[in-house]
Amino acid sequence: MIQITDLEKFYKTEEVQTIALNKLSFGVKEGEFVAIMGPSGCGKSTLLNILGLLDDPDGGSFMFNGEEVAGYNERKRSELRKHNIGFVFQSFNLIDELTVFENVELPLIYTGVKPAERKKKVEEVLEKMQIMHRRNHFPQQLSGGQQQRVAVARAVVNNPKLILADEPTGNLDSVNGNEVMDLLIDLNEAGTTIIMVTHSEHDAKYSHRIIRMLDGQKVTENILA
Amino acid sequence: MIKNYFKIAFRNLFKHIGFTALNISGLAIGMTAGFLVLLYVSFELSYDKMHEKSDSIYRIVADIKTPSETIEASIAAWPVAPALEQEFPEILKSTRVMNLNLTVVKNNKKVIEEDVVAVDSSFFEIFDFELVKGDKTQILKQPNSLVLSETIANKYFGQDNPIGQNLELEGFDDLGVVTGVMKEIPENSQIQADIVMSMITFTASPSDRDEQWGSYDPSHYVLTSESVNPKDLESKFPAFIEKRTGDQMRQSQMFVTLFLEPFSDVYLKSSRGGNITGNINNVYIFSIIGIFILLIASINYINLATARSVERAREVGIRKVVGAQKNQLAFQFISESVVVCLLAFLLAVGLTALSLPYFNALAGKTVSSGIFTEPVNILYLFLIALSIGVVAGIYPAIVLSSFRPVSVLKGSFSKGSKGVLLRKSLVVVQFTISIALIIGTIIIYNQMQYMRNQDLGFNKEHTLVIPTQIGNSQDALKTSISAIPGVKGIALASSVPGSGNPAAYSEIENQNGDLQVANLDLYFVNEDYIPQLGMEVVAGRAFSRDFASDSTQAMIINEKAVSLLGYTNAKDAIGARYQQWGSNGQIIGVVKDFNFRSLQQDIAPITMRLDPNSTNIMTVKIASNNITQTIGAIEKTWLSMMPADPFEYYFLDELFDEQYEAEEDFGNLFLSFALLAIFISCLGLLGLAAHSTIQRKKEIGIRKVIGASVGSIVNLLSKDFIKLVGIAFVISAPLAWYAMHNWLEDFAYKIDIEWWMFIMAGVIAITIALATVSFQAIKSATTNPVKSLRTE
Repeated sequence: MIQITDLEKFYKTEEVQTIALNKLSFGVKEGEFVAIMGPSGCGKSTLLNILGLLDDPDGGSFMFNGEEVAGYNERKRSELRKHNIGFVFQSFNLIDELTVFENVELPLIYTGVKPAERKKKVEEVLEKMQIMHRRNHFPQQLSGGQQQRVAVARAVVNNPKLILADEPTGNLDSVNGNEVMDLLIDLNEAGTTIIMVTHSEHDAKYSHRIIRMLDGQKVTENILA
Repeated sequence: MIKNYFKIAFRNLFKHIGFTALNISGLAIGMTAGFLVLLYVSFELSYDKMHEKSDSIYRIVADIKTPSETIEASIAAWPVAPALEQEFPEILKSTRVMNLNLTVVKNNKKVIEEDVVAVDSSFFEIFDFELVKGDKTQILKQPNSLVLSETIANKYFGQDNPIGQNLELEGFDDLGVVTGVMKEIPENSQIQADIVMSMITFTASPSDRDEQWGSYDPSHYVLTSESVNPKDLESKFPAFIEKRTGDQMRQSQMFVTLFLEPFSDVYLKSSRGGNITGNINNVYIFSIIGIFILLIASINYINLATARSVERAREVGIRKVVGAQKNQLAFQFISESVVVCLLAFLLAVGLTALSLPYFNALAGKTVSSGIFTEPVNILYLFLIALSIGVVAGIYPAIVLSSFRPVSVLKGSFSKGSKGVLLRKSLVVVQFTISIALIIGTIIIYNQMQYMRNQDLGFNKEHTLVIPTQIGNSQDALKTSISAIPGVKGIALASSVPGSGNPAAYSEIENQNGDLQVANLDLYFVNEDYIPQLGMEVVAGRAFSRDFASDSTQAMIINEKAVSLLGYTNAKDAIGARYQQWGSNGQIIGVVKDFNFRSLQQDIAPITMRLDPNSTNIMTVKIASNNITQTIGAIEKTWLSMMPADPFEYYFLDELFDEQYEAEEDFGNLFLSFALLAIFISCLGLLGLAAHSTIQRKKEIGIRKVIGASVGSIVNLLSKDFIKLVGIAFVISAPLAWYAMHNWLEDFAYKIDIEWWMFIMAGVIAITIALATVSFQAIKSATTNPVKSLRTE
């Protein structure tokens, strides 16, 4: 599903150039659950942004579903992203002014789904995430675990092929963290590809494969399942 | 999708209710000002447009060239309009309009009606003043016909049908006959009257005014066929004038050229004056001010919206991640700004409705009786509000929708450095406009003060002006009033400074010994007038009862007339011969120039003669104490001697200052708009200051921990804003100087623009800005630093 080859990304400030990704290569198959680990500043988040089509690489190749997407403009990336990729963030990133229902509904609005169908889909996924009873609440009225469940619901409501999770349990206690991991595993078992960046060895063990990075390069790869 | 946008817009507005209130109230006040200006401008532009054929109506005006000057008159000789209609088939109808007073005698009481015009019979066919009763082609054909306004008809006849009824008119042999009733003439008509009288009353025998080519009084209006090119028609006038009055012109050395003035332009654009005149410059000035105020209000929105963009950045990032396109986001933010503007619009409609009565009072006329009477204006304002929403929303929308989700979601987003320069520039623009308006206000007020306090060359204090009948009653009245304690002196005249006066065809011996022809202003006075008004005689002597010949053969002129005649010394003019309106004699004295018209005009040459048959005004000098009692006693005397006549009086100083009413209204409006501009600018400044202190909360906390005093923090936070106001001052001073210099050009007597006026404006602006900003700064400087540091 994903194949990156010699991927490069640089950051420039005034006079210093930092290499964030240094000729990184690996592939992810459909239905796989991959964890990416490494110390802060190793390029994990940069990689995730590129994989999520939020950012553009400076060099190398990025094949997504057999299509070269490196060099796509913002518009094409956005088009591809909204139909194929869901995001889960460490800080949940829900919109405070929208209710639970409305937050989850948002991706469907942007993909042009009809209102009646939107309602059905949102309710389905809220049901599945066991957060239906909170549908009319605003994010700040929920606990962290509940907020992350809403975020996962929003990430999957469009049935994306790929979910990118950036330290999804980072802001949660272990009970809530495990609940969220369980949700991700369920989704993976239902066929969704998952790439997760994490600092937690515990969470990483849920994955099929762990890629460890340092200074923008892949160091090791452990296959768990 | 749009529903979602509006939903989030409203929730956002409620969440930041303080900013929202600031934004909406600033915009609403700006829109209210804009709306009032719109009403004012459209009212000014609506003058005389109510006539269906107003595009084919022209006023006939005359340039009268004498050997000494060219007079640009708004009137023309008596026979002009009827003769033109007779001569040129393209002129379909014509009418003359002459203003006059009528004294109506009803139940032995005399009532003076001041808004009366005498017009020719096609008046109501040319002008579409609505008739309630009467046939417009017939009502003014007979002498003594009267068309009354509904109010006047009601005043004299109550509920009775006034048609065919009579009114006794003093000075007329026959009774007036009511032949029609008209609706009140709307305020936006330069022809104003409560009573319209048939012109034939005055032109029929014994007078032969229709033949008097040298006598000027009424205004003339013609209705042409639609195809007429006024320039072509005008080009035929010289031959027409030559044929009708050529010999007479050469004899009197007064050469007339006639012009057509489009009737609908007369009010705003004619420099010749007339009944009621507006000023196209004021329309421009207020339009510009209105646009400026809307601009200031829109800048507030742009500034507050972009300043707060940091807070919206995360939302933008999330929306982009879940699939929003840039243009969808831009649309969302524009719709938000439209929502704000429409809320402001609703508020502005309410504010306008509330403030309209005050605005009318300020403008000195009923600009609009209610905003809902002209729904089209509301539609205009709605469109204006909508476009402000779109225009003001564009920039914030572009800024916000361009945020890259990668940076905003990971927190590496730099705080609000984006657009800082733009925000600062916009604040400078706001204060440039505000300071310029303050400078303008200061200069206008100083000019007004100057005009009121200028030495006019005569004494206008404590002088009552009382219109009287000429004749025996006047003498008796004079004797009785003189006896009242508190009355210091009485004089008689035909005119006082500030009232109108006739101009007379005059021939006076000049420096070369020739009789020089000129059309000169003329006052008829009695012997007491010059000393009573404190005019200074610079050569010769004033009129005196010791010289019997003074009453028939003496003239006094002013210094301007002396120089018009070419004398270098006033003494040389004494003894010069004159001929004027059938009187021959000599110049016996020269008075120092005095301002008998508004200070907008230079002093003109004037002549004064004794004539007891023309002095219908009594000027009564009274003591400065017990004024009320003195006036009461005069009124009592008046009523005991002439119970039928209404007692009317004016104070000379008030009468004179009435000439500045238009300027005063202008000054008041200007002041109000200047205040609004600075107020709205400060609202914006308040918002920006609040925002900037929020952003610098951590910095302030750290500084305080290190040991900064409250004063130094207030200074830190205020400094930047005050600098902007300073820059604005530097930009606005020359602009304001230029604009006000031009404005003052309209005044013959004017103040010098002085440096302290600018300093004063600058100090006012900086003080207000400082007060606004330091309010926020002090608040945050006194916050416990632990609180602000912990939240980071």
